[in-house]
Amino acid sequence: MKHLKPLNKKAQLLQEAAKEGKQDEVVAMQTTVGCTPTTDPGWEVDMFGSVAGLCQPMEADLYGCSDPCWWPAQVPDVMNTYPDWTKDAPSAGSDWRKLDSVYPSDKE
Amino acid sequence: MMRALNLSLIILSTLTVAGCHQEDSAGNEVKTSTDNSAYANEFMVTVTRPGTLNVIDMQQHKTIRQCDLPGGSIPGTLVMSPDNSTAYVLVNRFSDVVGVDIDNCEVVFSAQQSTGNIRVKSIGALALSKDGKRIYTHQNRVKLHSDRYELLEPVVAAFDSDAGLNAQAVTTLPAPRQVTTMDTLESGELLLGGPDIYAMDVNTGELKTLLASRSLEDPNYTPRDVLTVWPLSRINNEFIRLYSTAKFKGEAGDLDNADWLWGYEAINLETGEAESKEFGPITAVLFTGVRRPGHLDKVYATLNQLKEYDISTQTELRSVDLDHTYYCINFSVDGSRIYLSGGYNEVAIYDANTLKPIAKIQLPGDGAMANSVVFKREV
Repeated sequence: MKHLKPLNKKAQLLQEAAKEGKQDEVVAMQTTVGCTPTTDPGWEVDMFGSVAGLCQPMEADLYGCSDPCWWPAQVPDVMNTYPDWTKDAPSAGSDWRKLDSVYPSDKE
Repeated sequence: MMRALNLSLIILSTLTVAGCHQEDSAGNEVKTSTDNSAYANEFMVTVTRPGTLNVIDMQQHKTIRQCDLPGGSIPGTLVMSPDNSTAYVLVNRFSDVVGVDIDNCEVVFSAQQSTGNIRVKSIGALALSKDGKRIYTHQNRVKLHSDRYELLEPVVAAFDSDAGLNAQAVTTLPAPRQVTTMDTLESGELLLGGPDIYAMDVNTGELKTLLASRSLEDPNYTPRDVLTVWPLSRINNEFIRLYSTAKFKGEAGDLDNADWLWGYEAINLETGEAESKEFGPITAVLFTGVRRPGHLDKVYATLNQLKEYDISTQTELRSVDLDHTYYCINFSVDGSRIYLSGGYNEVAIYDANTLKPIAKIQLPGDGAMANSVVFKREV
């Protein structure tokens, strides 16, 4: 964590938990407070630091990775807060135009 | 990155490659078989969007039934009852379990795991006892207070499979964190795939480590990296998951002088015997791999390629590029054909002797992280 600086309260709490030796309590955070604490390099690089090992095409990988919160920065939190984001798009390859941006509603 | 340039999805097609002679990995001349008679009464069951349980005839290469799943398809982890009549599926965004009669699509079991202000998520960890009477889930639990979240200890929950709709857990037992796959041993113990692979006495909750993985401390290797949410034990009655590691050739810790290797961790579900072996060099990312039925000295694995490995020599024997990513590998019951699914919206069938494509079966939506189960059953 020494190279990361928390920018909000949630990130500060995560950092404090790590300092207190509570790392076990911040694993699988998508199951608790949602997708946003999950950090993962996403579609940018594969395990070799390249791109040839990435899933192909990206759409074949979209739901398999957004469902369990692997790419929180790029897609809505389907697991917790936006469960219907993919409702009208059963296959990402043919239905990707229906995957829209999401916005908080007034009641949220 | 390879964005989707090819958006015109391939429609159901049966690729005829009869007459095409190939060599198997041992150099013997073999022919890609297009005779489907060996696959009579063989079925694959797998889940896709938009919340569909697909029952696929693997002889006819067509979907014979599509059942609507209450709660949608996510993650779609499924296990079959011992008589292969009921599919138990993890649904509703990792929250609930439903049981569906695959002959008439009737929902015969349901369990909503979250109750009150306690939210429960099960990340692929679903299992059924060998007699089919108990369903097990691993529950990650959090209490949602108005001003904070309180993380609760994870548990294993057990449900009676004949409890019908709105089933309640009959027992819960403390469990380790980070469990993403489960299975049951014929001894009755529950197998938990987490940081290590554990066996739990489901009567007492006593836990023992069957196979050390993350806790393994070998100075000649880096810590293992495991990624799995796919229960694949029906193939060989063997719990199996892949790991990656680096084996230092010189000084411990010198990653510039190391072999990068794939390995598998396996538990024989009949005997409880644990086995862990490296089987080949890391040349590509792989999500799932299994040993071929009838050829247990070979591992076949997939993601963007379909690869065959020889375990004893730790060599990659063959590799073919796939038309797109498939997460999940499976085999025909006799081990002669490879069935690929997951990720996108197709099942692909390959000849295990030649690694040649045989057919594709279009599905109504993406399989994402769902596994598949293959079995033979009289109809």
